[in-house]
Amino acid sequence: MKGLRNLDRITMVRSMLVHLGYFSRTQMRFTLMMIGAGWGIMREATRLTTWRRTVRIEFWASLHQAVGGGILSTLVTAALTGFGIVAQTVYWLGFAGMAQMTGSILSTVLVREIAPVLVGVILLGRSGMLMLTELGTLTTGGQMRAMTGMGVDPFISFLLPRSLAMTISGFTLGIIFSMTALLVGYAVCRVEDAITMPIWAFLDQVVSSVKPIDYFVIPAKFIFSGYAVGVCSCLSGMDVTTEDDLSSMLPRGFARGMLSIMVINVVFSVCFDG
Amino acid sequence: MAEIDDVLPNTLDARLELLDAKPQFDESGLVSSRYNLRLNAGECALIECRDMGQAALFADMCVGLIPLGDGHVRCMGLDWADLDERRSNALRGRIGRVVMTGGWVDLYGTHMNILWPQLHHTRIPIDRLQSQAVHLAVRLGLPGLPVIPPNRLSAMDRQRAACVRAMMGEPALLLLEHPMEGASAGLMNAFLSLVTDLRDRGCAVVWMAPDESGWGDYASDATIRLRLYDDGLFSMRGS
Repeated sequence: MKGLRNLDRITMVRSMLVHLGYFSRTQMRFTLMMIGAGWGIMREATRLTTWRRTVRIEFWASLHQAVGGGILSTLVTAALTGFGIVAQTVYWLGFAGMAQMTGSILSTVLVREIAPVLVGVILLGRSGMLMLTELGTLTTGGQMRAMTGMGVDPFISFLLPRSLAMTISGFTLGIIFSMTALLVGYAVCRVEDAITMPIWAFLDQVVSSVKPIDYFVIPAKFIFSGYAVGVCSCLSGMDVTTEDDLSSMLPRGFARGMLSIMVINVVFSVCFDG
Repeated sequence: MAEIDDVLPNTLDARLELLDAKPQFDESGLVSSRYNLRLNAGECALIECRDMGQAALFADMCVGLIPLGDGHVRCMGLDWADLDERRSNALRGRIGRVVMTGGWVDLYGTHMNILWPQLHHTRIPIDRLQSQAVHLAVRLGLPGLPVIPPNRLSAMDRQRAACVRAMMGEPALLLLEHPMEGASAGLMNAFLSLVTDLRDRGCAVVWMAPDESGWGDYASDATIRLRLYDDGLFSMRGS
């Protein structure tokens, strides 16, 4: 009787270990794929023969879609952020008699921490999900395999140009976001008389509070967030099976994208904490 | 693109050669039998296959997409197993294909879909490619090069466009998966005329269809007639 109970326990532990192992392997599988694809894109992008006409066409179309399509969302989100964060920061720091800290707090909180996350989310929602759907549909429809049969490598033709276009979009939208948020914030404070200094003095205060390492960290966060969103979305789209449909593809792709944005931002914040 | 120079055809090499090729069933879905076939320049094999899904997998094996457990598949004298990814893709650029699933990317117009393989594999100026595509399209009964997305074309026009795409450039090998399904006599004649022109210029043709009506009266012009069964590739009686 005791032996049977022990056998049950062993079976239960084994079953738990099987589930744990399956979970770990499936999670790590995509992470390793992302690392491999990320490295592969950087390596292939340096080869001149990679940039064929089809790759260039796909790159410019993706860049146009990501920057042109995301600029309005970026401006609106930046304006709301500027209205909320900049105005409140300036108001409450002035109230506490710590107005000289304004630039430092804005550069640390808004430009360095919040902007890369929000721009990453905009890119993921506006362009990443579109890429995932398009590539997922092509994969499940058999078009990817047909293209491979014609010698057109989907990795070179889709993943590479789209990921690089998202990288450039991340940087572009990030800079636009930061500038818009600061300017809207300044305008709101000026209208409410919470601030009296001219715009140049305000921007000078923000710039002078930026540490040297931030000149690397801030652009790097924008660039790597865009790159991670691009690779993650394209890879999620190309990694689907015939059993997948939009209802399973999209939530999975969104969760992976959000996770990659968070990981990039946390890693840079922790490793380069000035 | 430099790879294309490395895969220029040697006139003495067979355009397609399957030598005891035994695909791995687990990874491909193609029955693991031994396949043998040799097609020289200008030759044509008509293959009857009731299951066109199986025919598509066979065509995939011919272009080196299916892993082999044993044997060799060679195209223009080059064994797919010896080629790296880039060279394999460059060699596939010399093969024209009409696939059962269409293989259309609806993100672009039909004209871009037709030109895409040539834009990818060659440096031929786009206006020259366009004029060749227009010429082929007109011969196959299209009014010109269709610019609307492929999913908005009629099934017959999509079939015409697929033939134009396969015949673009100077393919060394044509792999046709039931290209003339439900085609009119006029379209069939135009298509056969283009296939004959290509064969005269040295292109080998593998034409697969579910029954003999798939290739109309072309059976007498074929070099070899075969049947693709579950247990391999067999010669048809009288071929």
